[in-house]
Amino acid sequence: MSNRRSRQSSSAPRISDDQMIDLVTKLRQILPEIGQRRRSDKVSASKVLQETCNYIRNLNREVNNLSERLSQLLESVDEDSPEAAVIRSLLM
Amino acid sequence: MMNTYNMVKQEFIKKWINTLHMLDSSIEHPLNVTERKNAIRLSSDLAMAAARNGSTVWSRALISRSGNKTANKPMARRILKKARNRMKNRCNILRRNGNFTAKTGVRKRTDLLKSLVPGGELIDDKDYLIRETLDYIVYLRAQVDVMRTVAAVDLFTRNLTNDRRNK
Repeated sequence: MSNRRSRQSSSAPRISDDQMIDLVTKLRQILPEIGQRRRSDKVSASKVLQETCNYIRNLNREVNNLSERLSQLLESVDEDSPEAAVIRSLLM
Repeated sequence: MMNTYNMVKQEFIKKWINTLHMLDSSIEHPLNVTERKNAIRLSSDLAMAAARNGSTVWSRALISRSGNKTANKPMARRILKKARNRMKNRCNILRRNGNFTAKTGVRKRTDLLKSLVPGGELIDDKDYLIRETLDYIVYLRAQVDVMRTVAAVDLFTRNLTNDRRNK
Protein backbone atom coordinates (compact mmCIF):
# COMPACT_ATOMS: atom_id res chain seq x y z
CA MET A 1 0.00 0.00 0.00
CA SER A 2 2.79 2.43 0.81
CA ASN A 3 4.40 1.42 -2.49
CA ARG A 4 1.28 2.45 -4.32
CA ARG A 5 1.22 5.75 -2.54
CA SER A 6 4.83 6.63 -3.37
CA ARG A 7 4.22 5.61 -6.95
CA GLN A 8 1.26 7.96 -7.08
CA SER A 9 3.12 10.96 -5.72
CA SER A 10 6.25 10.51 -7.83
CA SER A 11 4.35 10.53 -11.14
CA ALA A 12 2.81 13.97 -11.51
CA PRO A 13 -0.56 14.05 -9.82
CA ARG A 14 -2.17 16.29 -12.38
CA ILE A 15 -3.79 14.79 -15.47
CA SER A 16 -0.91 13.83 -17.72
CA ASP A 17 -0.80 14.74 -21.40
CA ASP A 18 -1.28 11.12 -22.31
CA GLN A 19 -4.37 10.82 -20.20
CA MET A 20 -5.65 14.06 -21.64
CA ILE A 21 -5.16 12.94 -25.22
CA ASP A 22 -6.77 9.63 -24.43
CA LEU A 23 -9.73 11.32 -22.80
CA VAL A 24 -10.14 13.78 -25.64
CA THR A 25 -10.04 11.01 -28.23
CA LYS A 26 -12.72 9.06 -26.44
CA LEU A 27 -14.84 12.09 -25.78
CA ARG A 28 -14.57 13.23 -29.39
CA GLN A 29 -16.41 10.11 -30.37
CA ILE A 30 -19.12 10.90 -27.94
CA LEU A 31 -19.45 14.63 -27.50
CA PRO A 32 -21.05 16.50 -30.39
CA GLU A 33 -19.33 19.89 -29.98
CA ILE A 34 -15.72 18.94 -29.43
CA GLY A 35 -15.76 16.71 -32.49
CA GLN A 36 -16.53 19.63 -34.74
CA ARG A 37 -13.85 21.86 -33.38
CA ARG A 38 -10.56 22.43 -35.18
CA ARG A 39 -8.34 19.41 -34.64
CA SER A 40 -5.83 20.40 -32.06
CA ASP A 41 -3.71 18.33 -29.76
CA LYS A 42 -3.68 21.04 -27.19
CA VAL A 43 -7.26 20.99 -26.05
CA SER A 44 -7.30 22.38 -22.57
CA ALA A 45 -8.20 19.95 -19.85
CA SER A 46 -10.46 22.56 -18.40
CA LYS A 47 -12.42 22.91 -21.64
CA VAL A 48 -12.85 19.19 -22.05
CA LEU A 49 -14.08 18.81 -18.51
CA GLN A 50 -16.49 21.68 -18.96
CA GLU A 51 -17.93 20.19 -22.14
CA THR A 52 -18.29 16.84 -20.41
CA CYS A 53 -20.14 18.38 -17.49
CA ASN A 54 -22.44 20.29 -19.81
CA TYR A 55 -23.14 17.16 -21.77
CA ILE A 56 -24.05 15.15 -18.69
CA ARG A 57 -26.28 17.92 -17.45
CA ASN A 58 -28.07 18.13 -20.78
CA LEU A 59 -28.61 14.39 -20.94
CA ASN A 60 -30.07 14.36 -17.45
CA ARG A 61 -32.32 17.25 -18.26
CA GLU A 62 -33.52 15.43 -21.33
CA VAL A 63 -34.31 12.30 -19.34
CA ASN A 64 -36.36 14.47 -17.04
CA ASN A 65 -38.25 16.06 -19.91
CA LEU A 66 -38.86 12.70 -21.52
CA SER A 67 -40.20 11.31 -18.25
CA GLU A 68 -42.57 14.25 -18.09
CA ARG A 69 -43.62 13.79 -21.67
CA LEU A 70 -44.20 10.06 -21.28
CA SER A 71 -46.20 10.73 -18.17
CA GLN A 72 -48.45 13.14 -20.02
CA LEU A 73 -48.81 10.82 -22.97
CA LEU A 74 -49.71 7.90 -20.76
CA GLU A 75 -52.19 9.96 -18.83
CA SER A 76 -54.49 10.10 -21.77
CA VAL A 77 -54.06 6.46 -22.58
CA ASP A 78 -56.72 4.28 -21.26
CA GLU A 79 -56.17 0.73 -20.24
CA ASP A 80 -58.03 -0.87 -23.09
CA SER A 81 -57.18 1.54 -25.86
CA PRO A 82 -55.25 0.46 -28.95
CA GLU A 83 -52.41 2.78 -27.92
CA ALA A 84 -52.03 0.89 -24.68
CA ALA A 85 -51.94 -2.35 -26.61
CA VAL A 86 -49.21 -1.08 -28.90
CA ILE A 87 -47.14 0.24 -26.04
CA ARG A 88 -47.56 -3.04 -24.24
CA SER A 89 -46.56 -5.03 -27.28
CA LEU A 90 -43.59 -2.76 -27.88
CA LEU A 91 -42.32 -3.23 -24.37
CA MET A 92 -43.00 -6.94 -24.35
CA MET B 1 -18.55 0.31 -31.18
CA MET B 2 -22.03 0.42 -32.62
CA ASN B 3 -22.76 -3.20 -31.74
CA THR B 4 -21.89 -2.60 -28.11
CA TYR B 5 -24.13 0.43 -28.03
CA ASN B 6 -27.05 -1.55 -29.38
CA MET B 7 -26.44 -4.18 -26.75
CA VAL B 8 -26.50 -1.51 -24.08
CA LYS B 9 -29.82 -0.23 -25.35
CA GLN B 10 -31.29 -3.72 -25.46
CA GLU B 11 -30.13 -4.42 -21.94
CA PHE B 12 -31.64 -1.15 -20.82
CA ILE B 13 -35.00 -1.98 -22.42
CA LYS B 14 -35.08 -5.39 -20.76
CA LYS B 15 -34.38 -3.93 -17.35
CA TRP B 16 -36.79 -1.08 -17.85
CA ILE B 17 -39.64 -3.48 -18.46
CA ASN B 18 -38.79 -5.16 -15.17
CA THR B 19 -38.46 -1.98 -13.15
CA LEU B 20 -41.68 -0.63 -14.63
CA HIS B 21 -43.56 -3.76 -13.57
CA MET B 22 -41.88 -3.71 -10.21
CA LEU B 23 -42.88 -0.15 -9.48
CA ASP B 24 -46.27 -0.53 -11.05
CA SER B 25 -47.25 -3.33 -8.73
CA SER B 26 -46.12 -1.50 -5.64
CA ILE B 27 -47.47 1.96 -6.31
CA GLU B 28 -50.95 3.05 -5.42
CA HIS B 29 -53.04 3.91 -8.45
CA PRO B 30 -54.37 6.22 -9.71
CA LEU B 31 -51.37 8.48 -10.14
CA ASN B 32 -51.33 12.12 -11.02
CA VAL B 33 -49.06 13.35 -13.82
CA THR B 34 -46.23 14.30 -11.49
CA GLU B 35 -46.31 11.04 -9.58
CA ARG B 36 -46.29 9.12 -12.82
CA LYS B 37 -43.41 11.21 -14.11
CA ASN B 38 -41.40 10.47 -10.98
CA ALA B 39 -42.18 6.79 -11.27
CA ILE B 40 -41.09 6.76 -14.89
CA ARG B 41 -37.87 8.59 -14.08
CA LEU B 42 -37.17 6.32 -11.16
CA SER B 43 -37.80 3.14 -13.11
CA SER B 44 -35.64 4.46 -15.93
CA ASP B 45 -32.73 5.31 -13.64
CA LEU B 46 -32.92 1.97 -11.87
CA ALA B 47 -33.02 0.24 -15.23
CA MET B 48 -29.98 2.13 -16.48
CA ALA B 49 -28.02 1.20 -13.38
CA ALA B 50 -29.22 -2.40 -13.42
CA ALA B 51 -28.25 -2.71 -17.08
CA ARG B 52 -24.67 -2.00 -16.05
CA ASN B 53 -24.89 -4.95 -13.70
CA GLY B 54 -23.45 -3.27 -10.63
CA SER B 55 -19.84 -3.34 -11.69
CA THR B 56 -19.27 0.38 -11.69
CA VAL B 57 -19.35 2.96 -8.93
CA TRP B 58 -21.86 5.12 -10.76
CA SER B 59 -24.38 2.34 -11.21
CA ARG B 60 -24.26 1.31 -7.60
CA ALA B 61 -24.44 4.90 -6.40
CA LEU B 62 -27.43 5.52 -8.65
CA ILE B 63 -29.28 2.51 -7.26
CA SER B 64 -28.43 3.60 -3.77
CA ARG B 65 -29.60 7.14 -4.43
CA SER B 66 -32.80 6.02 -6.15
CA GLY B 67 -33.43 3.56 -3.39
CA ASN B 68 -34.33 6.35 -1.02
CA LYS B 69 -37.39 6.99 -3.11
CA THR B 70 -38.55 3.42 -2.98
CA ALA B 71 -38.48 2.77 0.73
CA ASN B 72 -41.53 0.56 0.64
CA LYS B 73 -40.67 -1.52 -2.36
CA PRO B 74 -39.22 -4.87 -1.28
CA MET B 75 -37.53 -5.69 -4.55
CA ALA B 76 -35.86 -2.32 -4.74
CA ARG B 77 -34.70 -2.80 -1.20
CA ARG B 78 -33.03 -6.03 -2.20
CA ILE B 79 -31.17 -4.42 -5.11
CA LEU B 80 -30.26 -1.57 -2.82
CA LYS B 81 -28.89 -3.83 -0.13
CA LYS B 82 -26.65 -5.69 -2.57
CA ALA B 83 -25.47 -2.41 -4.06
CA ARG B 84 -24.72 -0.86 -0.70
CA ASN B 85 -22.60 -3.78 0.43
CA ARG B 86 -20.60 -3.84 -2.78
CA MET B 87 -20.12 -0.12 -2.63
CA LYS B 88 -18.88 -0.13 0.93
CA ASN B 89 -16.00 -2.36 -0.06
CA ARG B 90 -15.25 -0.33 -3.12
CA CYS B 91 -15.15 2.98 -1.23
CA ASN B 92 -12.33 1.89 1.04
CA ILE B 93 -10.17 0.94 -1.92
CA LEU B 94 -10.88 4.16 -3.75
CA ARG B 95 -10.06 6.39 -0.84
CA ARG B 96 -6.65 4.84 -0.40
CA ASN B 97 -5.57 5.90 -3.89
CA GLY B 98 -4.57 9.32 -2.66
CA ASN B 99 -5.53 12.73 -3.90
CA PHE B 100 -4.29 14.91 -6.66
CA THR B 101 -3.52 18.57 -7.06
CA ALA B 102 -4.34 20.48 -10.17
CA LYS B 103 -4.60 23.96 -11.64
CA THR B 104 -7.60 25.91 -10.45
CA GLY B 105 -9.69 25.59 -13.63
CA VAL B 106 -9.19 21.87 -13.89
CA ARG B 107 -9.72 21.32 -10.19
CA LYS B 108 -12.95 23.25 -10.13
CA ARG B 109 -14.31 21.45 -13.13
CA THR B 110 -13.18 18.09 -11.88
CA ASP B 111 -15.12 18.73 -8.70
CA LEU B 112 -18.11 19.63 -10.81
CA LEU B 113 -17.75 16.43 -12.78
CA LYS B 114 -17.55 14.46 -9.57
CA SER B 115 -20.83 15.96 -8.48
CA LEU B 116 -22.49 15.03 -11.75
CA VAL B 117 -21.40 11.41 -11.97
CA PRO B 118 -23.22 9.32 -9.36
CA GLY B 119 -20.73 8.22 -6.74
CA GLY B 120 -18.12 10.53 -8.24
CA GLU B 121 -17.52 12.21 -4.93
CA LEU B 122 -16.13 8.90 -3.67
CA ILE B 123 -13.50 8.64 -6.38
CA ASP B 124 -10.16 10.32 -5.79
CA ASP B 125 -8.19 8.64 -8.53
CA LYS B 126 -8.44 10.71 -11.70
CA ASP B 127 -8.01 7.79 -14.05
CA TYR B 128 -10.83 6.00 -12.36
CA LEU B 129 -13.07 9.05 -12.50
CA ILE B 130 -12.52 9.45 -16.22
CA ARG B 131 -13.30 5.80 -16.89
CA GLU B 132 -16.45 5.94 -14.81
CA THR B 133 -17.51 9.13 -16.58
CA LEU B 134 -17.12 7.67 -20.04
CA ASP B 135 -19.04 4.59 -19.01
CA TYR B 136 -21.79 6.62 -17.39
CA ILE B 137 -22.18 8.78 -20.49
CA VAL B 138 -22.69 5.76 -22.73
CA TYR B 139 -25.48 4.45 -20.54
CA LEU B 140 -27.02 7.89 -20.15
CA ARG B 141 -27.12 8.21 -23.94
CA ALA B 142 -28.79 4.82 -24.23
CA GLN B 143 -31.39 5.84 -21.68
CA VAL B 144 -32.20 9.00 -23.62
CA ASP B 145 -32.34 7.22 -26.98
CA VAL B 146 -34.71 4.53 -25.76
CA MET B 147 -37.01 6.94 -23.97
CA ARG B 148 -37.11 9.18 -27.03
CA THR B 149 -38.10 6.22 -29.17
CA VAL B 150 -40.90 5.18 -26.85
CA ALA B 151 -42.23 8.73 -26.71
CA ALA B 152 -42.11 8.97 -30.50
CA VAL B 153 -43.85 5.64 -31.05
CA ASP B 154 -46.59 6.69 -28.74
CA LEU B 155 -47.16 9.88 -30.70
CA PHE B 156 -47.05 7.96 -33.94
CA THR B 157 -49.66 5.41 -32.92
CA ARG B 158 -51.78 8.15 -31.48
CA ASN B 159 -51.78 9.91 -34.84
CA LEU B 160 -52.58 6.67 -36.60
CA THR B 161 -55.53 6.05 -34.33
CA ASN B 162 -56.78 9.58 -34.78
CA ASP B 163 -56.54 9.29 -38.54
CA ARG B 164 -58.52 6.10 -38.43
CA ARG B 165 -61.15 7.72 -36.29
CA ASN B 166 -61.39 10.73 -38.56
CA LYS B 167 -61.85 8.73 -41.75
